Amino acid sequence: MLNSIMLIDDNNFDNFYHERIIKKSEITDNVITKRTGIEALEYLKTQENNIPDLIFLDINMPGMNGWEFLENFGKLNEVYRYQIIIVMLTTSNNPDDKNRTKEFDMVAEYITKPLTKEVLSEVVNKFF
Amino acid sequence: MGKNLINLTELTFQSMIESVPNAIVLVNKEGRIAYINNQTEKLFRYDRTELVGQSIEILIPERFRKNHPNFRDMFFASPSVREMGAGRDLFGIRKDGTEFPVEIGLNPLITADGTLVLASIIDITERKKAEERFRLVVESAPNAMVLVNKDGVITLVNAQAERLFGYKKKELIGAQLETLIPDRFRRKHPDHRNSFFASPSARAMGEGRDLYALRKDKTEVQVEIGLNPIETDEGQVVLASIIDITKRKEQESIIINQMSELGIKNKELEQFAYIASHDLQEPLRTISNYIQIIEEDYWEEMNDETKTHLKTIHHSTDRMNALVKALLDFSRLGRNSKLTKVDFSKIVNEVISDLENLIKETDTKIHVEDLPVSYGYETELRLVFQNLISNAIKFRKDNVPAEIRIGYENKEGQLQFFVSDEGIGIESKNLERIFHIFQRLHLDDQYEGYGIGLANCKKIVELHRGKIWVESEVGKGSKFCFTLPNLKL
Repeated sequence: MLNSIMLIDDNNFDNFYHERIIKKSEITDNVITKRTGIEALEYLKTQENNIPDLIFLDINMPGMNGWEFLENFGKLNEVYRYQIIIVMLTTSNNPDDKNRTKEFDMVAEYITKPLTKEVLSEVVNKFF
Repeated sequence: MGKNLINLTELTFQSMIESVPNAIVLVNKEGRIAYINNQTEKLFRYDRTELVGQSIEILIPERFRKNHPNFRDMFFASPSVREMGAGRDLFGIRKDGTEFPVEIGLNPLITADGTLVLASIIDITERKKAEERFRLVVESAPNAMVLVNKDGVITLVNAQAERLFGYKKKELIGAQLETLIPDRFRRKHPDHRNSFFASPSARAMGEGRDLYALRKDKTEVQVEIGLNPIETDEGQVVLASIIDITKRKEQESIIINQMSELGIKNKELEQFAYIASHDLQEPLRTISNYIQIIEEDYWEEMNDETKTHLKTIHHSTDRMNALVKALLDFSRLGRNSKLTKVDFSKIVNEVISDLENLIKETDTKIHVEDLPVSYGYETELRLVFQNLISNAIKFRKDNVPAEIRIGYENKEGQLQFFVSDEGIGIESKNLERIFHIFQRLHLDDQYEGYGIGLANCKKIVELHRGKIWVESEVGKGSKFCFTLPNLKL
């Protein structure tokens, strides 16, 4: 069991579905949902003692998109980078987007939606 | 002593006249020939004795004879050294009655026997012929041509020039060249002209400037002008060859516009593909996800009919998903690809081993001939063979295993590949259609597919500047052919 998983995605339908998959898979009971990169950064900065083990990050979001979130995340205390695994979870199967993740070494995986039980357990087994 | 001197003078004069290259005729006030030289005998083919004492009009064609005595009298009234004819064309007539063009210089000669006129006659047949040839060449040139002398006066134009400028020939000849130049360029033009004559050489006019010509109706045409200096008896002249490039310029600007429009459209298309990949897939996925939730949470409560409907919805969203993905892939074909050396035997064998399961299941036989090595987009070319081979398997005859042949020929520097089968074949009316995106000939439950495979093939082959087509007979089979340029890097 992980302490917590954070979903950063503006799409509430997806958040609902992904939270359901996570809970059904019994990976964790604690799913933190943030609808923008700004909200997520705010949470990470203020809840230092309660940071998630795993973040699923969407790319296309209003305000601050996934890429901008990654840039800002990289500027945080490096403790965050050691403790948090970031997985891109996006609709885009555009190879350009997939290639772009190579610019960010904190990104562990690139997954296209939807998150399934199988994919989730693969990720957890690989990194935890 | 005095007599001798005169004789000597006469002798000197005589031998001088005999030695000049021109025909010389001395004529007295009455119009009688007093003396002719040897050249005259040759030119007019008379013997000296036949001419001396005769009226000079004997050497003039009949039609000019009547007026000639008047001209002659006028000359004697105010004798001076000058050219005869004042610009009119002059002709001589030989003993045999043939005519020839001449140029005649007149010199008054005061002697003891009164004033004589010394006429110096040059046969200008050859020069006239050369002029005529030149005129014909100019006339038959496809461009407008204008001959201009050092003073900027137009001396010759052809029919094309009449057409281009809207003037009649007689309006242009004798006019200043600057008539044909728009006002704003007129002031500087004589300077340009002078510097051309200062160092004449065949060259294009304007050195990169846009050139315009002015027509009679005051409209302007954009032109390109070639200049050729020509040395003539009248001095240095320049032959200007003028091409109306208004149409070409229009077409150029149309092409430039279309290119930039094409650029914009391509960007839009890429944007569209991206939106298709993202925004269209999102709601589809939500539908799929929620179907799954319903299936998980309410499966027990649903009756069979509801379950079937739910499955249909599921199936449709999956299909739509695949179509959207196919569209994205199609639009991205060839982007970021690099030309590399392609071993066609290798890629075809790789495709065959990728399709191994399908080939085994369907008992398909594939015969691959020797294939070449050339340059191309390898990943894309692999996709072409994959599509053609799996199509050949898919569209086999019922209960007859597919038999596929793959080979190539070298045709006029192009590689022409083929993938042939003995399957169901294609009706002739559909031979073109099958290469269009999302075109399908069969119902879903007969042959599954998205109608994208051959569209991909066509796009890939065309990326290589090749052609793809199919030869087919219903019930006999199909032969897909495509050409690729045999690139050597």
